[in-house]
Amino acid sequence: MKRKKRNWTPYILLAPSLIYLAVFFAWPMVRSLSLAFYKDDAQLSLRAEASFTSPVVGAIPQAATVTILDTQGNHLETAVDSGTITEVWYRISSSGADGAAAEGWILSDRVRVDEESGGVPTLGRIRAVRRSGADPQSSVYVQPGSSHGEVAARLDAQTEVNILELVTLEVWYQVSGTDREGQTIEGWAQSAFITRGEQDPSSGFIKKGDTGEWTLDFIRAMVADRFFMSALTTTLLLTVITIPIQFVVALVMALVIQARLKGNTLFLYLFAIPLGVSELAVGIVFYLLFTESGYINSFLMGLGLIDQSITFISIQTRHWIIIAIVLAEVWRATSIVMVILVSGLQAVPTELLEAAELYGAGLWQRVRHVILPLLKPSIQVALILRTILALQVFAVVMAISGGDIVTTLSRETYRWYSEEIRNPNMAAAYAGLIMLISIFTAIFYLRAVRTQEEAAIT
Amino acid sequence: MAEIVIENAVKKFGHFFAVNNVSLTIQDQEFMVLLGPSGCGKTTLLRAIAGLGMLDSGRIMIGGRDVTYMPPRERNLAMVFQSYAIFPHMTVYDNVAFGLKMRKADPAETDRRVKQAAELLHIEQMLDRHPSRMSGGQRQRVAVARAIAVQSEVLLMDEPLSNLDALLRLEMRAELKRLLVELKVTTIYVTHDQIEAMSMGDRIAVMRDGVIQQVDKPNTVYDTPSDRFVGGFIGNPPMNFIDGQVQIKNGAVKVQIGEFTIHPPEVIASVLKAFDGQQVVIGIRAENIETFTTPTEGAMKVQVLVVEPLGSQNLLTIKINESMLKVATHPDFPATADHDIWLRFPIDKVRWINRESQKALV
Repeated sequence: MKRKKRNWTPYILLAPSLIYLAVFFAWPMVRSLSLAFYKDDAQLSLRAEASFTSPVVGAIPQAATVTILDTQGNHLETAVDSGTITEVWYRISSSGADGAAAEGWILSDRVRVDEESGGVPTLGRIRAVRRSGADPQSSVYVQPGSSHGEVAARLDAQTEVNILELVTLEVWYQVSGTDREGQTIEGWAQSAFITRGEQDPSSGFIKKGDTGEWTLDFIRAMVADRFFMSALTTTLLLTVITIPIQFVVALVMALVIQARLKGNTLFLYLFAIPLGVSELAVGIVFYLLFTESGYINSFLMGLGLIDQSITFISIQTRHWIIIAIVLAEVWRATSIVMVILVSGLQAVPTELLEAAELYGAGLWQRVRHVILPLLKPSIQVALILRTILALQVFAVVMAISGGDIVTTLSRETYRWYSEEIRNPNMAAAYAGLIMLISIFTAIFYLRAVRTQEEAAIT
Repeated sequence: MAEIVIENAVKKFGHFFAVNNVSLTIQDQEFMVLLGPSGCGKTTLLRAIAGLGMLDSGRIMIGGRDVTYMPPRERNLAMVFQSYAIFPHMTVYDNVAFGLKMRKADPAETDRRVKQAAELLHIEQMLDRHPSRMSGGQRQRVAVARAIAVQSEVLLMDEPLSNLDALLRLEMRAELKRLLVELKVTTIYVTHDQIEAMSMGDRIAVMRDGVIQQVDKPNTVYDTPSDRFVGGFIGNPPMNFIDGQVQIKNGAVKVQIGEFTIHPPEVIASVLKAFDGQQVVIGIRAENIETFTTPTEGAMKVQVLVVEPLGSQNLLTIKINESMLKVATHPDFPATADHDIWLRFPIDKVRWINRESQKALV
C-alpha cells in the first residue's frame, strides 16, 4: 500500500503566525493571568546555617513576626552581591575610655570618617549615640559581623580611631517563628528579607519571601475591595443597557443604507464618522455637554425651561453619569455594529427579499422572518465584539466621572496598576475577571445565536 | 378571472428602454411564454407585472384591477424566481407555508394547502428538511410548491429551469406543464430557451430590444415567423434565409436564386410586384426542404459541404451563392460531403421577407 504523502506546506506557511501568536499573545496572557493567582514572595525559607548552600529547614509566610536570635556576617568575595543587605566593618585601633589601647572590629555606621587615602578611610571618630536611654558608649568586638560577640573594648563618643582594615559582610539573621502548620521553627535567613524592629532589635517580621506559591489571596482581596461590587454592577449595567440600544439603532441605520435611497453613500459616511473619533475625545465631549455650564444647561436656560443649571455630574447624581456614559457609548460604538450589519445585509440575496415582499410580507415581517435570521452570523460577530468592548469601557467613564463616582472593572484594573498603588497582582485579578466574563458571554452568544445548518446557500 | 392586460408599458434604465411601449393581453388561465434573447426586456416586463419594478409609463391590469402602482403583496400573485429564492433558514414546510402565513391564513387550511402543494411536487418526504441540504431540482420544486400553495390566480415564472442540468430540465418541463394545466392559473413564463417556449406555452410572445415582435401559438410562430429575427431565434437549426431577386417577365413574377428560379404563389406574387428588380429574402426551415439524389423537375443542384448525423436526422450544410443553408434529411438519405444533391423548396412552406424592413411580406 502506498503511503499518502503528507503535505507540509500549509504548516510551514502557518508557522510564523503561530509563533507570533505564541510569543506575543499566548505567553503574555498566561503570564499576566498567573499574576492574579501566583504570589512570588509568599514564604521565606529558613536554612540550617547562614548560607544559601545549607539545607532548608522550613518556611515562614510573608508578614509573620519572628524573633531574631542572632546575626552573623559572612565575608563577601566581591564587594556587593545583588539583592542582599551588606554591612561594612572596620578594624580600628585607639586608646580606650580608660586610656588603655584598644583594637577590634566595629560597624562602619558607628564611625564618622575624617580622613581617607585613595578612597580607603584611614582616620575617624566614634559617632555620638543619639537615642535616649541607650548605651552612650560603643562596643568594639573581637570578631566582625556579630553584635552579640565577645567585646574587645568600649569607646566613648568622639574618640579618635585609626582605621586599619575594612570588610564587607553579608548579614544573616537566625530567627524563630511559626510556619503555616503552626510549628515553631528556627533557622537562618538573609537580612534582606527581614525587617528588624526599631524599638526592639530582637524582633522583626518577614518583609518578603523568596519562594512563590499559588494563591487566591488576590482574588479574595479583589472581591473584598470596596470598589469591587460597584465596578462589577456598573460594568454589567452599562453593557446591558448599551448593547440593545446599539443593536436596534444600528439595524435601523443599516436598513436605511440598504434601502438605497438617494444620498445612500452620504448616510454611510455620516453614520461612520464616530468610528474615527477617539474614545477619550468622545468622553470629553459628553462631559462638556453635561457639566453645570455645559451645552445642555445652556440650551435649556436659553429656552427658558430652567432658571438655574442642573447638576448632572456629582456624587448624588450617579444615574445622570450612567446616562451620559450610555449616550456617549451609543454615539461612539453604534457605527461599528452598523458596519458589520451592512456588510451582512449585502450578503442577503435581493431575490429573497423580493420573494418575501411578493408573498405578502410587510416591512416588519421581512425584518422579522427573513432579514434577522439571515443576519444571524453578522449579529453574532457584532454582539461578541460589542460585548467584549463594552466590558472594557474605560476612557469614556474616566472622562465623564473622573473614575471615582462611577467606576468600572477596567478602571479598577488601571487604578491598581497605576498611581501610587502599583499592584500588578490585583490589576491582573481584575483583568482576569473581565476576560472570564468576556469568554462566557462569547460562548453564550455562540450557543444562543446558533446558525446550524442554515448556511446561506440559496 | 385573472386576465392580464398590459397597455403601452415603458420601463427605462437611464436612457435605455428596457421595455419599449409593450401592449399585451394574456387571457384568463392562459400559459403565456415571454421568449427572447438575454437583455430583451422580458424579465423587466415580468418584474413590472410582479410589482418589483415600477413602470415609467403605461398600465397593468390584473383581473380588471389597475395594479400599476400597487406594491407586490397587494397584487395577489405568486412568482418562481430564477435563483428560486428559497429561504435558507426555513424548513421546506415553512418555505411553502410562507405566503399563507404572511397572509394570516387559518393554520389548518395552511397545513392542508402546504401538504397538497408538496404532494403535487413530490416533496412531501422533505418537509422538515433545510434547503441547504437539497439538490437544485429539489429546491426548484420547493419554489414551485411555495408559489402554488398561495393559490393565487396569477403565476409568474422567471426562467425557472435555467439553473437545472439538461436532463432534469427535460423532466421538470413536462411536469410543470402537467401541473399548470391542472391548476388552471394564468401563467406568464419567461425564458430564453425556445424549446421550452415551444413545448410549454399556449402562446409565445417573442421579445427583442424591449419590443414584442410576435404573439402567437407556438406552431404559428414556428411556421410563420413575423420577421427574420423570430424565424432565426426559434427552431434548431434556425430558419434558413436566402437572398433572391424579384423579376417580372410578361406579367409573371419569379424569384431568381442564382440560376435557379422559384415561382411564388398568387398571394405572394401580387405583393412581390412592387419589388421588381429588388432583393427579397426567402426563409425556409431545414426540415421543409425536399432532397433528391438525382436530378428532379424543379430542383436545384447543390454541393454538400458537411454532413452531421444527429441520430433522428442528418443535418447537411450547403452553400448557395453567399448564404449557408442547413438542410435536415432522413438519416437514411445517402449524402456525403463534396457530392451533389438536388433541393426543392415546397412553395407553401416558404416565408417571404422584406430585405429592408426584415418583416414578413404577408
